[in-house]
Amino acid sequence: MTKETFLHDKHIALGARMVDFAGWHMPVQYTSIIEEHRTVRENVGVFDVSHMGEVFITGKDSLAFLQKIVPQDISKLAYEKAVYCQLPNKKGGLIDDLIIYKLGINLYLVICNAARIDEDLNWMVRNKKGLDVKIDNQSHNYSLLAVQGPKADELLRTMGLETQQESFTIKPAVICGIKLLISRTGYTGEDGYELLVENEFSEELWDKILKYGKAFNIKPIGLGARDTLRLEAALHLYGNDLDEDTTPVEAGLGWSISKDKQEDYNGKEIIMEQLKHGGRKKLIGLKMLDKGIARHGYEVYKKGERIGIVTSGGISPTLGENIALAYVKNDKDICTGSTVQVMIREKLHDAGVVKKPFICKKNRIKNTGE
Amino acid sequence: MSITEKILCSKSHEYILKNDDGTYTIGLTDYAVEQLGDIVYLELPEAGSDFKKGETFATVESVKAASEIYAPISFKVTEINESLADAPETLNEDCYEKGWLIKAEATGDITEQNDLMEYEDYKEEVE
Repeated sequence: MTKETFLHDKHIALGARMVDFAGWHMPVQYTSIIEEHRTVRENVGVFDVSHMGEVFITGKDSLAFLQKIVPQDISKLAYEKAVYCQLPNKKGGLIDDLIIYKLGINLYLVICNAARIDEDLNWMVRNKKGLDVKIDNQSHNYSLLAVQGPKADELLRTMGLETQQESFTIKPAVICGIKLLISRTGYTGEDGYELLVENEFSEELWDKILKYGKAFNIKPIGLGARDTLRLEAALHLYGNDLDEDTTPVEAGLGWSISKDKQEDYNGKEIIMEQLKHGGRKKLIGLKMLDKGIARHGYEVYKKGERIGIVTSGGISPTLGENIALAYVKNDKDICTGSTVQVMIREKLHDAGVVKKPFICKKNRIKNTGE
Repeated sequence: MSITEKILCSKSHEYILKNDDGTYTIGLTDYAVEQLGDIVYLELPEAGSDFKKGETFATVESVKAASEIYAPISFKVTEINESLADAPETLNEDCYEKGWLIKAEATGDITEQNDLMEYEDYKEEVE
């Protein structure tokens, strides 16, 4: 059965077009994906991302448990800080990608992808043997709202946000009288916040954000623009760009992995080996040189040889160009500045290999996680 | 008489409009373009090419996905709407007057139009 967030009726009332996504009935767009995309790049937008999972990790072995399941060094994670992590299997392939927040001593919050909650929980339970740790899935009790864009900070200040927060930090806050946890993170390549609130306050919070946001030309933003925004920022989408046959090194996430972490973790041997010598494949950025849009699943060629596959592709409303992420064989000749071809409807179209992300970070505050 | 009173629509959301000179103007219905959302690219056939009813003759790309456009009747393309190359969003704004896709000569039998619907019936069918 398709699930609904606590804001479902709000989306319908706003005239959203709804789609099934990861088992949830979610808004894909309210007016126009391109308009919504520009709103987030230029002003501020609000997203309902309550489908995402919230799992609390508690118990005296919380740290030891997290150290076992992610390649990042969680012992270095300070109180009220967040870190982007992956959940590798024994072969280094990714079960999910996550954000882990330290909320206290032996208290961590894990935010995971809606479509992967069950797999994540199963995997966590399998890895907790002998450890004093509680894995508490609270996804059904929390709503998550993302407020993203260059005006996000200013908007939240008018709503009573008092704390000064760096990127990748989380703090308790009161916004318009509503108690919540506020984190300076997002999935758009813009500055912004994510607000974790108990379900019963989510509608009030949504309404207040739209009300106070009017002065900043806010719009509600659907999953369609969420996808074009994250693609421009070259942020991975699980299921497209990440899966159980792809290691974090192959996904270009080597930057996020602790090189000197002492503890063993799932897939460590393969991941460390690939950090030194590279993986079997690599994720590259493409800009179409010919007309045509590369889409998920299209094949990539070079000199007539099939070298890889597009995992995410579409238009970049900001650049006015067509962009894509593709996995290709790990060959040094497939490098920035070289040309490859994408097979679109049985015809090859030239594409240039470009640096990621596709857009510059002028609006982003320094990301301490990167 | 408004344009929607003169067109015939297919179940796959193409329309045909018979012109005074006997050719047909072919395009996508307003329901189709609304469902597609922002249209960002169109791949149209070349003038002179032939298509049988039901064949893919063009592709429309919205932000989300690429969709095929099927020939509602058999035809030979006589003209394509060149202005769409630089302004595919015209389809979202006006899919009948300015946002038509191609003009064509019918090459099949008139009975090919038996399964096409008048606009009012089409709207009822899709909504």
